[in-house]
Amino acid sequence: MAVQVRVRDKDPVARFLGWFSIGLGTAQLTAPRALCTLVGAETRGAAPKVMRVLGARELAHGTGILARPRPTAWLWSRVAGDALDLALLGVTAAKYGRARTLFAIANVVAVAISDIQEARFLSRRKGPTRPAMQVRKAITINRVSDEVEQAWAAATELRRKVEQNGASVSFARAPGGRGTEVIVEFEWNPPAGDFGAAALKLTGRDLATQLSDDLRRFKQEVETGEVVRSDGTPDGHLLADHLRQRAARPLEEAVR
Amino acid sequence: MKATCWMGRNKVEVENVPDPKILSARDAIVRITSTAICGSDLHLVNGYVPTMKRGDIMGHEFMGEVVEKGPGVTNLEVGDRVVVPFPIACGACWACENELYSLCENSNPNARLAEKLFGFPAAGIFGYSHLTGGFAGGQAEYVRVPFADVGPIKIEDGVPDESVLFLSDILPTGYMGAEFCEIKGGDVIAVWGAGPVGQFAAASAKMLGADRVILIDRFDYRLRIASENIDVETLDYEDVDSVPEALKELTGGRGPDACIDAVGLEAHCHHPVYAYDRTKQALRLETDRPFALREAIMSCRNGGIVSVIGVYGGFVDKFPMGAVMNRGITIKSGQCHVQRYMEPLLERILGGEIDPSFVVTHRLPLEEATRGYDLFKSKKDDCLKVVLTP
Repeated sequence: MAVQVRVRDKDPVARFLGWFSIGLGTAQLTAPRALCTLVGAETRGAAPKVMRVLGARELAHGTGILARPRPTAWLWSRVAGDALDLALLGVTAAKYGRARTLFAIANVVAVAISDIQEARFLSRRKGPTRPAMQVRKAITINRVSDEVEQAWAAATELRRKVEQNGASVSFARAPGGRGTEVIVEFEWNPPAGDFGAAALKLTGRDLATQLSDDLRRFKQEVETGEVVRSDGTPDGHLLADHLRQRAARPLEEAVR
Repeated sequence: MKATCWMGRNKVEVENVPDPKILSARDAIVRITSTAICGSDLHLVNGYVPTMKRGDIMGHEFMGEVVEKGPGVTNLEVGDRVVVPFPIACGACWACENELYSLCENSNPNARLAEKLFGFPAAGIFGYSHLTGGFAGGQAEYVRVPFADVGPIKIEDGVPDESVLFLSDILPTGYMGAEFCEIKGGDVIAVWGAGPVGQFAAASAKMLGADRVILIDRFDYRLRIASENIDVETLDYEDVDSVPEALKELTGGRGPDACIDAVGLEAHCHHPVYAYDRTKQALRLETDRPFALREAIMSCRNGGIVSVIGVYGGFVDKFPMGAVMNRGITIKSGQCHVQRYMEPLLERILGGEIDPSFVVTHRLPLEEATRGYDLFKSKKDDCLKVVLTP
């Protein structure tokens, strides 16, 4: 039986190339002269203008790759872009003969190889595209299933969050007397693909992250009777709070 | 109250901080009577363990008197004298039920941080960075002890603090390191590092029936303290041109049956490779300098065991995996499951089999913690172990 968890068309290489396009395009648009210097072109005249146009093209590549679930055509568009870049750099090299231009050509060749490999990899994918990813968050609680299901029924806030997001929950007996697996599953299809995913993660509204925290706290409450607090994390486990920890020393006011 | 605080790299200060309060039903507040500086505290001070915050209270080796307890703590009374184990463990999860206390699944409220670095999180630890939970440590006048019904062990009056204080960490850690070696009669055990943990690992290896124990360090006073108190052979690695070769020749060409790394990520070695690893570490291209570990692997006999109780934090380079695989070496490691060893080791102490206080070289008031750290870190005044008293 093939595993259906976290299966998706777009792999980390495509995602990396997408963000690479966004980064390069932004640099070309906002600092065209610096980029011209970098590749050994003139910083006056037409060159910076061309650089800006190329930047806009890069942003288009990046947006397409990141937003689409299976961006095969967008990867081929990057390959075409690489060919154009190499042609322009070739002209620049012939005209000025600067070492920096040769270095830029070497870099474009390196990334072009990745682009071609990835475009061919995605071209081999058959069947309908899969825009949504099946995400599963599971935790094992060292208690029999009756007890866990009762506690779940009592955890109204967590249950409501799961329902509102169209997620489903199931319970399974863990093998070898290891307790009960609590499994929450949902379809993950953020708006605008990887852009939406990144925005949700950065703002702490990513459902998978939230569920990781919630399930951990749920496990703590069922197994130990309390949410574990420390001086650095007085409110218990929350990923969003990890980044703004207080020092590990007692609070002025006790949290009871 | 007064507390020893991490104020930045290489900066430890005694500060006035608020007293701890009960936060959960299973908490207790302990008034510290003795607390020690651990070698692993130096990794924090030197900045090799990430996620320290300015103002963190340090210290994970401590004992004292219960002065307050939550309603969930039924096995302790106010006034009880207790030693507190350094890993915080809930006692209810699968790991705790299987006596893997330092892998408690619930006690680390910053589990996600640890998960990102290690794949899965480990237990919370007192005063040991935010990766292990951000718990205030015990180099202070008072400390809050979570899950006080699981960890602390009661100590009768009349037993001096110094004889039992090290049940909190280094004695069980050394003992577990020796236990990993599955010692049988006739075994030769080599131990890298004659700090307190290495000394206890060596002593434990003897207690567990090793035929010979060879302890390796470069500080004469440490090797001297060891040979005065434990039945060990000592090897100054700066006096020999190759530790693996020396060990091979000392063991009839077989190599030690098991090797214990009680050094960890800030190892030194007298070899050009030191410059290579030190540079990579300074540039953050690797986080840990694994000389002792590499030597332990290269020295160990075919099919032997390498026991790693020295602390590692991240990634190492040039790890001799080929030697491990082709020579059938088993590596065992872990933060000590202290709760598992406290009772049996307390019995050995009370029975006179071992008195761990022999490692103590300096006794200072808590106010002088900064000086204590300096003595210990710089190995000044033949410092092996500093005990602080509030």
